[in-house]
Amino acid sequence: MSAARAVPASVHGPAGLCLALLGVAAAGADDGQWTLPGKDLAATRYSALDDINAGNVGALRSVWSFSTGVLGGHEGQPLVVNDTLYVVTPWPNVLYAFDLKSEDYPLRFRYRPDANPAAVGVACCDAVNRGASFAQGRIVYNLLDGRTVAIDATTGEELWKTTVADLARGETITMAPLAVGDRVLVGPSGGEFGIHGWFMGLDLATGAIAWRARNIGPDDALLARPGTFKAFYDRGKDLGLATWSGDTWQRGGAPVWGWLSYDPELDLVYYGTGNPGPYNADQRKGDNKWTSSILARHPGDGSLAWAYQITPADNWDYDATAENILVDLEIGGHERKVLVHFDKNGFAYTLDRRTGEVLVAEPYVHLNWAKRVDRKSGRPVLVEAKLTGKSRGPVKDICPSLEGGKSPASPAAFSPRTRLFYVPTLNLCMDWQSEDAAYIPGTPFVSATVPYHPDAGGYIGAFIAWDAATGRKVWEVREKFPVWSGGLATAGDVAFYGTLDGWFKAVDARDGKPLWKFKVGSGVVGAPISYRGPDGKQYIAVYSGIGGDWALIAGDVSVADPADVRPTNDFAPDLARYTSQGGMVWVFAL
Amino acid sequence: MRLFKWLPVAALLVPATLAHGQDDKPPGAVSYPQHVAAGTVTPPAATLSNPNAGDANAALQGEILFAAMNCDGCHGGGALGWAAPSLADGRWRFGGDDGAVFHSIFYGRPHGMPAYGGMLPASAVWLLVSYVKTRPVPRELPTVAW
Repeated sequence: MSAARAVPASVHGPAGLCLALLGVAAAGADDGQWTLPGKDLAATRYSALDDINAGNVGALRSVWSFSTGVLGGHEGQPLVVNDTLYVVTPWPNVLYAFDLKSEDYPLRFRYRPDANPAAVGVACCDAVNRGASFAQGRIVYNLLDGRTVAIDATTGEELWKTTVADLARGETITMAPLAVGDRVLVGPSGGEFGIHGWFMGLDLATGAIAWRARNIGPDDALLARPGTFKAFYDRGKDLGLATWSGDTWQRGGAPVWGWLSYDPELDLVYYGTGNPGPYNADQRKGDNKWTSSILARHPGDGSLAWAYQITPADNWDYDATAENILVDLEIGGHERKVLVHFDKNGFAYTLDRRTGEVLVAEPYVHLNWAKRVDRKSGRPVLVEAKLTGKSRGPVKDICPSLEGGKSPASPAAFSPRTRLFYVPTLNLCMDWQSEDAAYIPGTPFVSATVPYHPDAGGYIGAFIAWDAATGRKVWEVREKFPVWSGGLATAGDVAFYGTLDGWFKAVDARDGKPLWKFKVGSGVVGAPISYRGPDGKQYIAVYSGIGGDWALIAGDVSVADPADVRPTNDFAPDLARYTSQGGMVWVFAL
Repeated sequence: MRLFKWLPVAALLVPATLAHGQDDKPPGAVSYPQHVAAGTVTPPAATLSNPNAGDANAALQGEILFAAMNCDGCHGGGALGWAAPSLADGRWRFGGDDGAVFHSIFYGRPHGMPAYGGMLPASAVWLLVSYVKTRPVPRELPTVAW
């Protein structure tokens, strides 16, 4: 049994506290905008608009579209603020602002940053961008070349631009920053380039760097201070140093390329860290804290409150960079403040977000590298035969693949009406062989051969509904190709998602029944949003534009063609018959 | 991200014995046949020639270097392309003659090709040139390619 309610989008004094107490009723208050990457600070991706509902969504039609002129993978989502639609493209990271009040949505402004083209060669997995945040009249987003910019949302004027990442050290930025109070929170990509991962708080007004915390290294660099830091399962000093062999922590990865969320009552921002580097685990013995972990910090001064390592000594590139969705659930008869996280490693975690304690950890896809998560230690119970590292030679059939049971690039949604999470998933496994990696700054630090293959069942993707209070899958819709889009849940009891072959779909949030679909011309790797237009109508918007990890297999011919010299896409050889590259913004309405 | 074959790291640093009689100095100005000359007048420049031309062993040594220097981390195993372009499809953004490829490796290129001239002697860069230039090119190519 479970009961759930969404955490309010923001809390500003007593009025906000009332909202929190109102619970489900509070979720009904929706101003029709979409101002943050995950809709609200809790990252629910839930729209309380219900004009479009399970009964009428079949009549949904495309009412507007726009080519961004960029071929790269269009991850992330647009924003809608003050009757303006904001779109951030992959590199070269152009910001478009469309006027929703005028017919045909003409451009209000376009901001073209001077994003360094060298960044394209330092991005592991396509030159993607996962979107912007709106706060205090400004649009804040990251450039691939390692800079954070704030743009006046009305005029398009650049207010500040701060260099936060170092390309020469293999750092780029692909994540969407989160604006919390007077802070902008940012982290780097580069888990495949031997970075020394960090998380940063900037001043929203000026762009000045207020603090930077490392994700690995000694306690003082982690801002893990006595009295304020308490990991639920781990004790000891300098765990971010002691759990590494030699000086390997200095190039050990722990990027922050996923999503952020924030609980205003606890004043904690939550983020996941990526894989340890290199992939060859023999070269970094130990747990490698805090890679593949969830961290909770106070955004004001960056101090670390707690950390929980999802996958210790990660042997499989199981980044824990997935979104952490903040909801309150009834578990075992008690109302708990939880964080729900669908990890690449195949387990769905329901944690107590005050402490990092594991309340539920169950597989949401088939997995075989671990038997279960031990509740006493918080650690996965490993399957010896699936461990990797050069000394272990080739290892066959590890599930899920390093794309994850779900990609962190494709965030899930939560509906307080159904109390379910809507999760894009993958049904892929992998073989693994590690070699020695040489660290050369600015070049890849990886060393593994990892071909994928579909798991049993005859499908590669699925869109599922998940009960995070019990750790149970409620329904699933299977797809021929990976489901690598984000999810959207609405008060009309409709859930939206897209497929890699370019279908944008609506299903009944209660039972998964297919209700509507539309072919958007390129695979969907972005996340849908919903907003209310100035005409009072409800709209749905989404990007099309295959890319990200799939950029290489997204050309205009079948990769099964013997003339195609690209690496063989042997797990979905005919994908390129159904889709090709090209970024567009789509808007739908009844 | 999907990653491809890494060859065993046989050489992290290039031994001096790999030199093939070429000075370990960067070349001067180079002329590329692929480039357009304004007014049809080619600027005065040298043509660089690969000292390993026709040496099959040089390509094999270059293949080892291709893994050791992390080239395959971006360009993929077999130089088939991944985050960076294929070097085995016969298409060259910056010119495909040996001197142009040497320039690309030694001095780097836009969109993230690192300059290796600070890490590798010219002799080692020529081994890499020999390797990528001897990759077999297929008869047909997809329309969209790197």
